[in-house]
Amino acid sequence: MATAEFDVPGKALPSLKDANREISRPITAPSWRFWFLIAICGLGILAGAAAWANQIRNGIGMAGINNPVSWGVYIVTFVFWVGIAHSGTLISAVLYLVRSGWRTTINRAAEAMTIFAVMTAGLFPLIHLGRVWYFYYLVPYPSTRLIWPNFRSPLVWDMFAIGTYFTISLVFWYLGLIPDLAVLRDKFTGLRKRLYGVFALGWQGSVKDWSHYRRLYLYLAGIATPLVLSVHSVVSWDFAMGIVPGWHSTIFAPYFVAGAIFSGIAMVITIMIPMRWAFGLESYITKYHFDNMAKLLLFTSLIVAYAYALEFFLAWWTQDPVEKESFLWRAMGYYTGPFWVMVFCNVVVPMSLWFRKTRNSLAALFVISIFVNIGMWYERFVIIVTSLAHEYEPGGWGIYVPTTTEILILIGSFMWFFFWFLLFSKSLPVISIAEVKEHLAHEHEGGH
Amino acid sequence: MSGIVAQYETLGATRAAIERLREAGHEDLEVFSPFPAPELEEAMGIVSSPVRRWALIGGITGFLTATALTALTSIAYPLITQGKPILSWPAFFVIMFEMTILFTGLFGFAGVLFHTHRSRRRISAAYRETFSVDRFGVYVVDAGGRKRDLEALLRDAGAVEVEEVTA
Repeated sequence: MATAEFDVPGKALPSLKDANREISRPITAPSWRFWFLIAICGLGILAGAAAWANQIRNGIGMAGINNPVSWGVYIVTFVFWVGIAHSGTLISAVLYLVRSGWRTTINRAAEAMTIFAVMTAGLFPLIHLGRVWYFYYLVPYPSTRLIWPNFRSPLVWDMFAIGTYFTISLVFWYLGLIPDLAVLRDKFTGLRKRLYGVFALGWQGSVKDWSHYRRLYLYLAGIATPLVLSVHSVVSWDFAMGIVPGWHSTIFAPYFVAGAIFSGIAMVITIMIPMRWAFGLESYITKYHFDNMAKLLLFTSLIVAYAYALEFFLAWWTQDPVEKESFLWRAMGYYTGPFWVMVFCNVVVPMSLWFRKTRNSLAALFVISIFVNIGMWYERFVIIVTSLAHEYEPGGWGIYVPTTTEILILIGSFMWFFFWFLLFSKSLPVISIAEVKEHLAHEHEGGH
Repeated sequence: MSGIVAQYETLGATRAAIERLREAGHEDLEVFSPFPAPELEEAMGIVSSPVRRWALIGGITGFLTATALTALTSIAYPLITQGKPILSWPAFFVIMFEMTILFTGLFGFAGVLFHTHRSRRRISAAYRETFSVDRFGVYVVDAGGRKRDLEALLRDAGAVEVEEVTA
């Protein structure tokens, strides 16, 4: 397995020096292309920010959410971005614990994605709040008349779960970066040397230091694994704890976690393919990596498909008329379009990954990953909106349609995410240099 | 105090050098590596890191903090919500779980910072920038009066460069 990793036909195995040079090569003064992409992202962010400012000025009525559908695009997009955040930790932590070597060249970028996705997701509860200045009600301190937050509330669990997830992901990412920052410190001169030096915290690669590093890395992987499972479970309980038909289900936690990994892997593929091409990292991120990611995508697609089917089965099995009506309406009512888009993107399209030919074609993988991204956004839309729109009393049924404000903020969130990723890709090594060297050294020395 | 730093190009040679130095009675060693190398830790006789104690203490602190936070605030202002008891342990467990993990990670990180910084001044005179590229370094902190023998030993183990270092 080890040899397949850096096996590029017609290319010799890179030396450790090559790894240093080639992986840190993108960290130079950016060209006009980079600024062009930054400008596009900037425009998107401005549009989203303007829409949000307008909503703060005129009130939450600028969004389409109202009774009975009081959770709309903002919460849908929040869940979407939290889901995207899951693959980073999965790739870094779970694959580390099970000693899957193929994570080495993709973990850094996936972890960065995690952090930026949580940063994006974190905006949405604030936007959804309307009166954003009251967000501190969730912070655990006696904010009003000595009353503490209600720790029985899933929304407060959410605050703890996502706050912990962001912090631990950041520590995990930064710990992995420290040795690479030392590489950059030693490579550059002048201001850049000093800047990277500050963040490298004086790292000198002493074996004693490595032993502390390795120990903590193992622990972080060990605690991040249950953490990543808990985060999307807690997010799912925002819904499952309510007695809304279509939400109140015990399968929600595993269903959401599988969906999160599915969408996260798709986003990793969407980002990695252009990044690998733009930075010439073909020797490090090989077809072998994409093949593995594609298999993971296929596997999680099957779990998601199973969950979709099971939801309908449970509605029929319980013989609860409200539950049955809710699911029939989901598939054939007003929102039948989003429902079948979801099924097509998440279940039908990924089935092409059964064929090795598809998995080995980067163009096909890129297209499939976009389909999955779209499908997973629609999945959350279907779960959240169709359930609220069609609860118990026919008199309380209603329809929700997103407004321009919500669409602009949605677009802005993508641009905000890509903006951070672009900055990252030009200022930090997108592949873990130290880990790549570890693998290369063992291959050069004939596999220890 | 003056020591000797030798540079090596392979993991195998570095390991051999460490083993020979320890056999010759030089236990006060610092070794540099461009990547995590469990083999070298083993050769140096490093069994585990004190970071594990930091992480354990962090985890326990986090768990107790969350238990106190959820239980004491509920007792201090006993208001029944959602029809659940004042001490709703299943609901509070989510908070306890998250805070255990949060504190484990943060304490562990503080431990890494503490232990890596403590040794920094002692070793920085021997650090060479090649150690972050592709070379390993073996630093005998106090060469004592046997510099010649030491140098011969280090070169014999495959050193590509040997220098004296005054700390």
